[in-house]
Amino acid sequence: MSTASDAGPAGAGGSVAGAVIELSHVSKTFASRSASPVRALDDVSFRVAAGEVAGISGPVGAGKSTLLAIVAGHLRPSSGSVRIDGIEPRRFVEREGIAYLPRPLTLPGGWRVSDALTRLAVLSGVRPAYTKHRVEAAMRELGLYDDRGRRLRSLKGDARLRLGLAQAIVADHRVIVLDEPLDGMSAESLDRLRELIVRLRAFDRAILITSRDTAELQRITDRVTLIDHGRTRRPGVPRRATPADVEGVFHITLHHGGEHVLAVFPTAISLGRSTYAVRVSDLAALNRGLRDLLERGALLVSVTPAHAAVDASALAMNEVGL
Amino acid sequence: MKGRLTAYAGYQLRDYFVMRALPTLLASGLVALALAAARGVTPSDLDPTGGLDARDRIQQTFELLLAAFAFVAGAVAAHGVVSHHRRRGYDRVLFSRAINPVRYYTQGFVVAGVGAVVLGTVGAEIYAVAVHPVSLAGVAGYLALAWLLVGGLAFLLSTVTAFYLPILCLVLAADVAVDHFTGPLSAVGAGPVAAAVQLVLPPAHVLVTLRAAFARGLPIDPRAVAWPAAFGAACIVAAMALVRRRPFRS
Repeated sequence: MSTASDAGPAGAGGSVAGAVIELSHVSKTFASRSASPVRALDDVSFRVAAGEVAGISGPVGAGKSTLLAIVAGHLRPSSGSVRIDGIEPRRFVEREGIAYLPRPLTLPGGWRVSDALTRLAVLSGVRPAYTKHRVEAAMRELGLYDDRGRRLRSLKGDARLRLGLAQAIVADHRVIVLDEPLDGMSAESLDRLRELIVRLRAFDRAILITSRDTAELQRITDRVTLIDHGRTRRPGVPRRATPADVEGVFHITLHHGGEHVLAVFPTAISLGRSTYAVRVSDLAALNRGLRDLLERGALLVSVTPAHAAVDASALAMNEVGL
Repeated sequence: MKGRLTAYAGYQLRDYFVMRALPTLLASGLVALALAAARGVTPSDLDPTGGLDARDRIQQTFELLLAAFAFVAGAVAAHGVVSHHRRRGYDRVLFSRAINPVRYYTQGFVVAGVGAVVLGTVGAEIYAVAVHPVSLAGVAGYLALAWLLVGGLAFLLSTVTAFYLPILCLVLAADVAVDHFTGPLSAVGAGPVAAAVQLVLPPAHVLVTLRAAFARGLPIDPRAVAWPAAFGAACIVAAMALVRRRPFRS
């Protein structure tokens, strides 16, 4: 697993090894018919590596949502470059998709919770055999299971926010972009979000979160970049991933039988090459799951605690003096 | 992870029948009533025992219904295909998935068109059983052609403005009006001007001309169908190009 990259603005050119999201000298100006053009972003640069959780904080109107819309490929920058895995965001999104929580979250009000998540799972490319597991797991993880039959128009505030998070994680995406997930969130939901971020971080996702709540953002991210009036006021200082971040997460490699993983571990995420990251409450749960997997016909190659990867990574960074 | 857009077509078809079928039928009924009132058609005209004249009136009444449904279904099938999503902001959630917006909207348009043709053909079958025989193949063909022209134009307009419906009604009515007055204009030597104007406008008058032949199951001259079909196809291609250029509201 990769750990957090070094902080600070990205260079003017070239992709950084391991960087998933990279913004370089990005500016965005909105034309206005009635007034002078509005400069929403001014020369913003940063990068988010795989396995890193980056925060963007700033007051209302600072340019946070514009920044995320650019990363999601919904807006094009007026100048500068944005790359996700080395390609332009819109192309990346159409190729792989991203987990995106926009604010406000708008979906047809007549859809019911489980129906909406199923539709979005289908559009996200979740395979038919896994769709039900994925939707149920997302609803349970975000505390929406009891609301599964409710129409979206009846969901307000915190419940709507949880739906936004559920639709973002219902599929397995490498890039996760959350706009103001803390705004209006209850204490209970905040706990869920913290757990969710810890789980997703362990799976090598690049996570970008905006919030006005700098203090909370600092607790749940590796580093927080402050922006105001579209300019970077303070580049983020990294907090490296620790074994505690990935406690309870194991990497399972199979020879065959990968199609049974989601049935046994509903929140598992594929890491590629027949390897899956799974989170379990304790070793007994892990062994029960593995036994179930074997009984379903899977052939196991290896099981590794995820924190071993973090330890190895940290050791390597120390050795090169980072 | 590529999105399973083809699998999503089932949801789009369900959405059509759940959300658009009833408004289409209601609006078609109202338009047909207005047209019938304007032409002085009364319920007694629908008595099939009234001889050849009565049968002719029944056939003409059905053609009125068909015309109303074809226009309304085309307009409603394409309703907000793009502009509604943009206005409500649904596009931001949908297109964070690994799907192509052009394919998503085009598939939605095609699926809604299929829904409209099925709905109209089923309605025609009910009419055929209850009132008077009609050509179901002709009805389906006419609805498909009308959907291609009216729906295609509505699809194009919905990519550029949220007020597509008044503009749609205006340009279709303008074409029928120009066609209506082309004869007198030709007589005083203004024919080329009217012809040029009609080339730019959607050929709604061709649909009007073809309606009776389709509804009665008569042979159709492919050359007569080519103009509205080509116009509709051009609108769809232009709409796809516009969506590709600007997939989102902002």
